[in-house]
Amino acid sequence: MNRVDLTRFPKTSALLRSRWPQFLLRAVTLAGFVFTILAGLFGSVVGSHNFAIIFVWIAWWSALKLFFIPFGGRSWCSICPIPMPGEWMQKGGLFSPSGKGFGLGKRWPKKLRGNWLQAGGFLLIGLFGAVTLTSARVTALILLFIIILAFVLSLVFERRSFCNYLCPIGGFTGLYAQAGPVEVRVKEKQVCAEHSEKTCYTACPWGQYPLALKSSADCGLCMECLRVCPSDNIAVNLRPWGSDLGPKSKQSLDEVFLGLVMLASVLVDSAVFLGPWGQLKTAAYEIGSLSWLGFAGLFLFVSFGVLPSLFSTAVWAATKLGSAKTTFRKTLMNYGQVLVPLGLMAWIAFTVSFAFVKFSYVLPVISDPFGWGWNLIGFTGKAQVGQSTPFSIWIQILLLCVGLFWASRVANQISETSKQAFPIITFSCLFSAGMLWLLIG
Amino acid sequence: MKSDSVLKNLVKKNWWISLIVLLALLIIFIPLPQSQNDAADRHFQVEASMFQFIPGRIQVNQGDRITLELISTDVVHGLSIDGYDFELIADPGQSQTATFIANKTGVFRFRCSIACGNMHPFMIGKLQVGPNWVLVRGIILGVLAVFAAFLSFRQSSHIQKSTVS
Amino acid sequence: MVKKERIARVLVVLFVFIAVLIFVVGWLKNQNLNADSIQIHARMPENGGWSVTSINAETNQPIHLKLTSDDVVHGFAIGKTNHPAVDIFPGEFVETTLLFDKPGTYTFYCTRWCGVNHWRMRGTIDVRGEGPLVTNPPPAYLQLGIDIDTEHEAEVIPATDVSPQTGSLFADDLPSYVLDQETYFSNSPAKIWMRLRAEPTLSELSDQEVWDVVAWIWQKNTSPSMIETGQTLYAENCAACHGETGKGDGIMVRDLPKHDSDEHSTNDPHSESGMGGLIRPHDFTDANHVLGASPALFSGKIIRGGMGTGMPYWGPIFTEEQINALVSYIYTFAW
Repeated sequence: MNRVDLTRFPKTSALLRSRWPQFLLRAVTLAGFVFTILAGLFGSVVGSHNFAIIFVWIAWWSALKLFFIPFGGRSWCSICPIPMPGEWMQKGGLFSPSGKGFGLGKRWPKKLRGNWLQAGGFLLIGLFGAVTLTSARVTALILLFIIILAFVLSLVFERRSFCNYLCPIGGFTGLYAQAGPVEVRVKEKQVCAEHSEKTCYTACPWGQYPLALKSSADCGLCMECLRVCPSDNIAVNLRPWGSDLGPKSKQSLDEVFLGLVMLASVLVDSAVFLGPWGQLKTAAYEIGSLSWLGFAGLFLFVSFGVLPSLFSTAVWAATKLGSAKTTFRKTLMNYGQVLVPLGLMAWIAFTVSFAFVKFSYVLPVISDPFGWGWNLIGFTGKAQVGQSTPFSIWIQILLLCVGLFWASRVANQISETSKQAFPIITFSCLFSAGMLWLLIG
Repeated sequence: MKSDSVLKNLVKKNWWISLIVLLALLIIFIPLPQSQNDAADRHFQVEASMFQFIPGRIQVNQGDRITLELISTDVVHGLSIDGYDFELIADPGQSQTATFIANKTGVFRFRCSIACGNMHPFMIGKLQVGPNWVLVRGIILGVLAVFAAFLSFRQSSHIQKSTVS
Repeated sequence: MVKKERIARVLVVLFVFIAVLIFVVGWLKNQNLNADSIQIHARMPENGGWSVTSINAETNQPIHLKLTSDDVVHGFAIGKTNHPAVDIFPGEFVETTLLFDKPGTYTFYCTRWCGVNHWRMRGTIDVRGEGPLVTNPPPAYLQLGIDIDTEHEAEVIPATDVSPQTGSLFADDLPSYVLDQETYFSNSPAKIWMRLRAEPTLSELSDQEVWDVVAWIWQKNTSPSMIETGQTLYAENCAACHGETGKGDGIMVRDLPKHDSDEHSTNDPHSESGMGGLIRPHDFTDANHVLGASPALFSGKIIRGGMGTGMPYWGPIFTEEQINALVSYIYTFAW
């Protein structure tokens, strides 16, 4: 219902089907990635004058949350440069697979599947966030480490194992892509069933079989299936936001955990980076110190203790209020979906609160990317102390309210009775109130 | 005839949206009576160090004349308040003082305005002038959002039921 | 197919090459631009201080400096010269050109407080060339043989506020030595008071009136503009430790134990009183302390620093006039 298939229009279809537009974007992002690493390693140590800090943590990180995910789901993944070198080796070609690929093609260990490692990676970023966010060198080293890791892993393991199981941003993007308005699905199930070759599955770097694809969390929107399908049976749909969520779908346990980690991270990040508590900032920054251990303990306590126990309590209450045959585990997996809109809108609100303020740094670092005193486009030295305005404050409030509305609606849709939704909605209210207080209180 | 009933249906279907929007606008824009309290002279000493202000929260009433003394305890720091045209820059040993009138209500962040190291962008404090009505409005708006979620769900399930039958 | 693949490879290589090229060309160009100038990074002393701490120069040969800061606000100035101080902001570059007409060793230093160790941010410029070396006469305290490390509590202090105006009324009755600059310089106010008190010609003056005379002598040896200079220098360089009001309670030392005159004689560097036995500086508003010290003693302390007490040495930085201005300002705390 209400879906617009982009492959039905000749222009968009050609745009998606051709490898060139995507290839060019990937080549540009790869070059940008290399440039970012160079800037981070050799540019100014002052963050506000280094391309790496401003572009990774202000421009890209904001664009991901304000643009790519809410309007394109995993669209960033389709042009992300990180897995590219490895994938080109696997395919034996930069442009299209040559059949002479290289790689051991091992299966990813079963025990390490799911979003667990991604959630762990995201937590690690959070624990060291104050340093990664402010040190260009560390940022560059992390980028370098990630691209090398992705390359090595793609030589050992099949397809995009790194993206699927390790990339912390992949976990983040995938989780919230479920709420995004783009999906790849098959057009006619019958056609697939009659097609014995499964060219789409063979071609899919993500190891997905489009016919079985239910959640947009798993699809990296690379469009390979579209390109290899002999029957033109793949649709790229624009759909209403949140179409993956509802009574018919559920989250796996690792997704629920990832969802909770994301909620904890946005709370802690808001408190550290936007709050008035100087000691918390110092603690987060002084890695290895006693106070940092305290901060790490607090962070992990919120991620593993406070939020999971609150959510479990809510789910337990919902289980009690549900019909007799339901179990805690089932209810948990159902209501895990509520965490998606709740977290997505909280992250967007958090981003709005700092992106508007810090955006004035973007043009100056284009003007002087390494902080060597250049003035390429005349913006050097034009950065100002940003201000949050009433406008941005109201945007944040409205975004949080939309998140709460959306989460409550999903909770209602999943629940057998409105009464059953009540505990989950209470949890959502508590979280939203916490965010609201941290952002504008 | 048919289009008329479709229109009616549409209105019937969407009356609640108008209601919610109306209520939301009301919550956002309804003017509140200004609390009448005598403006006072308030003096605050704010100590700035890497990377915090102490106190990090300052609460005053609307109309108060605020005298801020900025004392830097390690390196050069600044203090500028969002929404107010106010800035102080102080070297250690040379504390700076300035006065302004807190004529705008709400919560305003104040930030260090002189780069002072890695965590400088996050060196933030909060000035609260009068009660934080924006937060209160936000909370009420949140309650309305939950209410709207119930309504929208009820409406859509109604429609589904009616289309099924 | 093969053709497309080739184009694709060329494009990827080209794009990455451009990215690297921008960097490399920029790097080389930067190197060229900086060939005729010295780039100095300023960092907090804990992070390394000045990246360049010694510069060689020739007289009448300009040196171009490109200064930037890697962390906080710093400043650049050269001691005992008129070169204007330059502020250095993090990540930004500021250029300045130095020109020396006399050979000698100059000290450059940080002018904006950048932590407890701010004063350690110093470096030297060795200027060689024709002409007489810049030499400094040995400081007065050495010429006069004053031991600046002994206690110098005043034997007497005024009972109430002094009035130089009142003191000026007795100007004609005073012995001639009191207006000698030498006398002012080498004696503490308390010493002069005792000498004047012992003068039979002044026996009719009350104790307080003698103090007024002493205050007048001190006023004669300074000027409002000197006090003003002293005040500025004090605020910029001294107040962070000695306190904005001179009480010895500046923000850099407020966690240290207070100066306690009883305990002072047992100044054991290994005592457990906080940072290596450091204690707060003296209270300049304490007349007992300040009126017992001669201008020569104070300027000696400023020039030499208080070895081990945390007081930096300002000899290579302040000119004689600046030190005299500072000293006359210090007395204003106590009067």
